[in-house]
Amino acid sequence: MPRTRRSRSLQLAAVATGTVLLAAATGCNAASKDDSSSAGAKSGGKSFTLVTPDPVGQNQFLKLAVDGVKAAAKTHDGTQKVYQSSDSASQQQNVQAAVDAAPDVIVLVGFEFADLVAQQAEAHPKQQFLVVDACTEKTFKNVSCAVFREHEGVYLAGAEAGLLSESGKVGAVDVLDTPQFRRYSDPFAAGAEKVAPKTTASTRFVGGQSPFDDSARAKEQANSLLAKGADHIMAAAAAGNYGVFEAAQAKKAYAYGVDVNQCTAAPGTVVDNVIKKTDVAVQEGIEQVIGGKAGKTVSYGLKEGGISLTGLEDGVKSSKCVIADHEDVLKKVEALRDQIVSGELTVDDPAAK
Amino acid sequence: MFFDSDLLMSALRALTPILLAALGGALCERAGVFNIGLEGMMLMGCFTAVATSWFTGSPWLGVLAAALAAAAYSLILAVGTVTLRGDAVVLGIAMNLLAVGLTSFLLRTIFGVQGTFDDPSLAGLPLVGGFSPLAYLAWAAVGVSALLLSRHVWGLRLRGVGEAPDAAATLGVSPARYKYAAVLLSGVLCGLAGAQLALGNVTLFSENMTAGRGWIAVVAVMLGRALPLGVLLAALLFGLAEAAGFRLQGLGMPQQATDAAPYVVTLVALFLSTAQRRRRNARTTGVAS
Repeated sequence: MPRTRRSRSLQLAAVATGTVLLAAATGCNAASKDDSSSAGAKSGGKSFTLVTPDPVGQNQFLKLAVDGVKAAAKTHDGTQKVYQSSDSASQQQNVQAAVDAAPDVIVLVGFEFADLVAQQAEAHPKQQFLVVDACTEKTFKNVSCAVFREHEGVYLAGAEAGLLSESGKVGAVDVLDTPQFRRYSDPFAAGAEKVAPKTTASTRFVGGQSPFDDSARAKEQANSLLAKGADHIMAAAAAGNYGVFEAAQAKKAYAYGVDVNQCTAAPGTVVDNVIKKTDVAVQEGIEQVIGGKAGKTVSYGLKEGGISLTGLEDGVKSSKCVIADHEDVLKKVEALRDQIVSGELTVDDPAAK
Repeated sequence: MFFDSDLLMSALRALTPILLAALGGALCERAGVFNIGLEGMMLMGCFTAVATSWFTGSPWLGVLAAALAAAAYSLILAVGTVTLRGDAVVLGIAMNLLAVGLTSFLLRTIFGVQGTFDDPSLAGLPLVGGFSPLAYLAWAAVGVSALLLSRHVWGLRLRGVGEAPDAAATLGVSPARYKYAAVLLSGVLCGLAGAQLALGNVTLFSENMTAGRGWIAVVAVMLGRALPLGVLLAALLFGLAEAAGFRLQGLGMPQQATDAAPYVVTLVALFLSTAQRRRRNARTTGVAS
């Protein structure tokens, strides 16, 4: 969720206006389509179309989704297409184009598509949709959803913070004080307290007029936590994360990122990241739809491999994350993960209250 | 301890970009141009500052380029209202919208990224005594603009142009020239505000990073009645309310309530200052209003 960089309402109008003007000026084609079919598009093979809310580019979250669709196409000896959107207008066009082409499954990543899919699913009951990282409000027989249990990963990050903190004080900078966003702050405190019961935790919410964009405000929030002695800070403030990293770096404190590996943004400051494995969710979601179990919402957490930490994945050594130097901490965190996976330990979900 | 040096520093950091933009707004207001395009000009300044600092390696060139780019951008308002006699409110809103779209577009085309451009090697402004040099410049600008407006002939003429353009014109003072100067100066100040935000407060650019600060500056102009010192006090009030809001969150106050703090403070201040002005008017005219 903190992947989003832009608050809706007002800015949407602003961006739309801006892009319309620019599109007119440059005559650019809003929707870019990348058709790549794997060998021999036989009539028997399955076809999948992925629609992304933003250009894939360097966005690791979306890159993984593309990987997932490609892997699914390979398994089923089929074809895949990726429609990359650049704004709300092209999102709509791309969803329409995908529906017109009628592939076996249309995969859409992001909350941006919830309403669009609801409209299309009603009009095209035979078309199968898979929504990742969001879901439609109403349930449809032809809409399957893959959502994440972010709080499990955040809990593990909190455990790392509890083990590494010298001051015994940790904190989180979150986007908004809503149950869904509290998944990024409450479990951080719980994880830290689990491994170091004396730890005190505090949360700041960015809020304001554009909570997703305001890095200067997020930085000041982090500063207010640091001023109170916190030395490990969970950053779940969308674009504000970079502000949190700057604040932590200046005070020689540590921070934790979300969604993708953010350690490269501030090497030596970012300890670890709570990552969403969209490839797993896309691949398994497609299997589920093809296997005839459509219309369900499946949640992906540590157990399903949908949520993880950079430190628990391959390639941690080259990740530039601080955690790479703390193998003892990683061992303890792995043990905690195994407890959560086995069901021995459950992490409270703030969004379920 | 609730009020300590950290709180004050935080408030002063939050204050600087708002103060610079609001001083620009105050100059325009005095010249009779209602400038609500501060947000857009500031955002142009943010982007230009980051892009220039990135490609030249010098944050100072970034500051200079931001001032020039925002001044150039402010020409839309100057030409639109003064020469073409367009509506300043419509133009200001258009400038704000265009700036969001244009900077996002440039971010994609020049840097090939979306959302945020952040690189550990992007050079930001150095800190002098805990503040960026632009913060000192902002405080100095309060004094300079106050003296300029109240003591200097240029300021007198600028105010004359704003209050009675026809009278100024009959005295041989060109309203157009003074209005252009005020708008361009506000562009420079907003450019500096943007540079401060993107190379001082943080060292990065993200889409729509001004996040409403330009609008707060517009309110500061009104609250401070376009007097440089009044604008300073209004901006200080916002800075303190915001920093105190962060603290109150730590004491358990909900974010939704602390978010409202700057606006509640504005309403209270507006109410008090209006009430005071009415009392004073009533006394001088002898009529209860």
